[in-house]
Amino acid sequence: MRVKQWWIVGLGLLLAFAMAQSRNDIRLDLKAFRVLSVQEGNRTTEKLEAALDARPGQLIEYQLNAQNTTDNTLRQVALIIPIPASTAYQALSAQPLRLGETLVTAEFSFDGGRTYGKIPLKRTIKVLENGKEALKEVEVKPEEFTHARWVLPQMSAKQTVLLKLRTVVR
Amino acid sequence: MNKLFALLVAVLVLFGAVLAQQTPAGTNISNQASASYIDSAGQARTTTSNQVITVVQQVYSFSITPDGTTATPGQTRNALPGAPVYFSYTVSNTGNGSDTINLTTAQDAGDSFDLTGTALYLDANCNGTIDPGETSAITSVSLTRQGTPGASACVIVAGTIPASATNSQNGNINLSGVSAGNPSVTDSNNWARATATTSAALTATKSASPSGAVAPGNNITYTVSGSNLGGSAASGVSVGGLGGSGILIRDTIPSGLVVSSLPTGSAGAGTVQMVYSTNGSTWSPLAVGNLPLTGNGTIAVGMFVSGTGAFFPQTASYTFSFQATVPSGSAAGTTYLNSATVQFNNGTSDQSVTSNTTTNTTASRFSVAIGGSGASATDGADTQTLASAFSGSAVSFNSTLQNTGNASDSFTLSLGTSTIGVCTMLQSDGVTPLSGPVGPLAAGAIYTVVVRCAIPASQTSGGSVTLTATSVNNPSGDVATLLDGVDATTLAVTTVASGFGVDAAHNTNGAAGGEGSDPANDSRAGYNPAVNPGGTALFPFEVANTGQNPDTYTFSAVLPSGWTAVFYPDSNCDGVMDAPAPAPVSGTGLLNNGSARCYIAAVQVPAGASPVDATPVSGDNVQFVVTSTTLGSVSDTIRGAVDVNLVAQISLEPPRTGTITTPGTLTYTHTLVNSSNQSGVCSVAGDGGSFGWTYQYSLDGNTWSASLSGISVAANGGSQTIYVRVLTPAGQPIGRTDVNTLTTTCTVGSATVNDSVTETTTVVGGDLRLTKTGVSYVGSSSTVRDANAATALPGDTIEYTVVASNIGTGNLSQVVITDPLPSYTNFVSVSATISGFTSGTVLYSTDGTTWSTSAPTTLAAGGSIYVAVSTNGNATIEAGDLMPPSATITITFRVQVQ
Repeated sequence: MRVKQWWIVGLGLLLAFAMAQSRNDIRLDLKAFRVLSVQEGNRTTEKLEAALDARPGQLIEYQLNAQNTTDNTLRQVALIIPIPASTAYQALSAQPLRLGETLVTAEFSFDGGRTYGKIPLKRTIKVLENGKEALKEVEVKPEEFTHARWVLPQMSAKQTVLLKLRTVVR
Repeated sequence: MNKLFALLVAVLVLFGAVLAQQTPAGTNISNQASASYIDSAGQARTTTSNQVITVVQQVYSFSITPDGTTATPGQTRNALPGAPVYFSYTVSNTGNGSDTINLTTAQDAGDSFDLTGTALYLDANCNGTIDPGETSAITSVSLTRQGTPGASACVIVAGTIPASATNSQNGNINLSGVSAGNPSVTDSNNWARATATTSAALTATKSASPSGAVAPGNNITYTVSGSNLGGSAASGVSVGGLGGSGILIRDTIPSGLVVSSLPTGSAGAGTVQMVYSTNGSTWSPLAVGNLPLTGNGTIAVGMFVSGTGAFFPQTASYTFSFQATVPSGSAAGTTYLNSATVQFNNGTSDQSVTSNTTTNTTASRFSVAIGGSGASATDGADTQTLASAFSGSAVSFNSTLQNTGNASDSFTLSLGTSTIGVCTMLQSDGVTPLSGPVGPLAAGAIYTVVVRCAIPASQTSGGSVTLTATSVNNPSGDVATLLDGVDATTLAVTTVASGFGVDAAHNTNGAAGGEGSDPANDSRAGYNPAVNPGGTALFPFEVANTGQNPDTYTFSAVLPSGWTAVFYPDSNCDGVMDAPAPAPVSGTGLLNNGSARCYIAAVQVPAGASPVDATPVSGDNVQFVVTSTTLGSVSDTIRGAVDVNLVAQISLEPPRTGTITTPGTLTYTHTLVNSSNQSGVCSVAGDGGSFGWTYQYSLDGNTWSASLSGISVAANGGSQTIYVRVLTPAGQPIGRTDVNTLTTTCTVGSATVNDSVTETTTVVGGDLRLTKTGVSYVGSSSTVRDANAATALPGDTIEYTVVASNIGTGNLSQVVITDPLPSYTNFVSVSATISGFTSGTVLYSTDGTTWSTSAPTTLAAGGSIYVAVSTNGNATIEAGDLMPPSATITITFRVQVQ
């Protein structure tokens, strides 16, 4: 049996958790669509269908509609769309969000949402090179991403935003 | 070749045969978005979206190997005319769900002969021969999804070369498959060739034991066997590195497998020798010292049967066997393919015959560990302990979940009974709730599970909750057993301290948070507001949240009966009521821990409250209680002293006037009212006027005395009627007026107050006496407010009754009775009744000259009502209208107070 002492969690952290209680200031509506290619005459267009089911290899587009339901401005709004484990993120499909003058680009996590970064994400691995262990930085592939998020500096009263990303069913 | 490349090759060798797995059909892909933000109050908050679920549909896909065309068949079998031939195929499901593959064979029209008696058999142990128990012909195979043990099957196509076939003639046969789930998915390029030969023809069949799934670390025994089914004896070939000639049975060790013991074998003719090759072309004798040999795609072991000339006769047979070990780290689903080749000379040319291919798959081991928070999980029971936490707060534990099996797996997480409040499981981000199993996780992969427990506000002791992980594919086992499908970790808090506290304090410094600590700040020495009844006393105070959690507090007060308290925010904390006065509040609203806010308690003393003298600290008479709405046992009380002033006020009303004959008697009434906030004891005495008339006083109108004393009058409007009787002696001159001043002196508490009133009495010559009395009513109702009309409120009705009596012995002529409309009243009605007249008509007037038999309905402010009785029938009033002795006229005059 291994007992770990956990009393490194500061008071502030406890308070932060206490505060992080759910309310409905922001209404989140997540939808999943199957992306189908439809041949119309001599051009191919895309069609979205509700993704009640999908086959391996098919594209699923997740659309997150977020609305500030309050009469106040909310700050530092981080909107997160997880990438389900049975799917792989399709590179470049998370579109930036134009918010007035600012352009909010998506950040990604490959560690289950603990840390986020802008593309390209890097990770350090240990390799054996010329008989010695060495640390090497490699780029994390899009299919390893676990979460995408957009951090909006603020969201004014009653404002609605729409975020999209696509994944491929593994 | 540098070492990095070597490492890469090793990794490829280990995992190269593992196919990219598709998500199984029927899997739910669930997704739930989340948001974190800071609200307008500066609080960090989170929320989650709805959950969307997409179900993975089935994809149909399969393959049949080996492939071949009619020109280049995938496999060739040599046999005598009339002899049977067996072709081995592997049918593999490469889709993500179970499927049945329908199988058919077809003969080539462009070749020398068709095989007769063709049939399909399932080769359950994949040894390339039809064993007892495998003799039922089949037309289809049912396969489970890719990556599972039943995903592939070995099928044998059997046929017989016609006896009429001649040496070297060929016949081609094809095995085609069609997916039952999706008939458009087919595989039909699997041609094989049978060749009739009268030369030597050695066969080679390969078997693996066990067939199919093999656990990591276990051995596979490969056996190659065959015989000379041709028409003549076989000769040897020359082999690089070995002397002489012989028949070589060679087998390339599957990549990754390890051969640690010497092979065994025998042959029906010739000399047997075990050999090996590291490059596939040069062979050496194999000795124990050369072992172990690890398969890399090139290293091969073999058996060399040496002999001279055509030494291996018809029907002679051979067998060759060796053991290979599956590495303990082999990933589940890793496939190991193996086939053998026999090289010989059939009398005219060197031949090479390849056996069927065996397929072994590394079996899955599904196991899980959960515990700890690092890069690897702790298997078996373990506890993560948080030394201390506050009630009402949330604590989070990060636990590492690790797939300790060798195959991709998903894990169901569950929480046991919690003694540290309501616990929820969250994804690694600590925000999104966990729904459904975690995974699939690759072998060895970890996932951080966050468990957040909201410790109840009322909790006072530590507690724990157990987090259990269960393999979806192997939901059996227990916590204590390592490397099985169940593991758990205990999440514990050792001590729980109260997270709630409040301090209410008198605000003496005009600043928030600057007060002394409990309990010294609960009373306020030297602060003793004194108010009149109906007044308000103010107590500025502040409320500080001394707990660890934001909280909301309500206010209440403990006060003398009838008193009320209202609480106002004091936004600038200066202890003075803000201007304009803010709206009252019943509590603090949400108050962050560590912060304080100021309020003012306004104690409303009711009108009529008795005098109070309270001493601060020792004799506090009001209390204000601040109570947590989260935890009712958390409260603080402050106390204060409010004085109520003595207000002494007495009235004796109204002044009276009257007429009296000489001699005569007349009775007046006055009302003594005590408007003080305390009862009083009064005495009443008059000055007796100027002419020696007799004035007598009574409290009941029956018992008369020269003065009154010891009259108790209740506080706050208590009243007493005072009767005054005037007795005039005979012979007083007509027109004499006497004024009696009546004075009351009352002792109210420590105060003495007095009031006076007069009776003005005039001696009249005639014999007409007028008396006027009044009664006030509440509003328009018949409820009496005051029987003497001493009190009337706006809207009240006052009814005056004027009685005119002829108290003489002769007739009175032209009697007109006038009564003015009192100031601040509106006319309501007037009516009159008469008695003692033999005949007469009541007439009304508003100006004294114009008369009417009907009473007026309006009367202007300042006007008067005139009433008289016409006895001569001329409808006006003149000297001829007589009022006989003892006759009375009674006028009822109603007005309403404005």
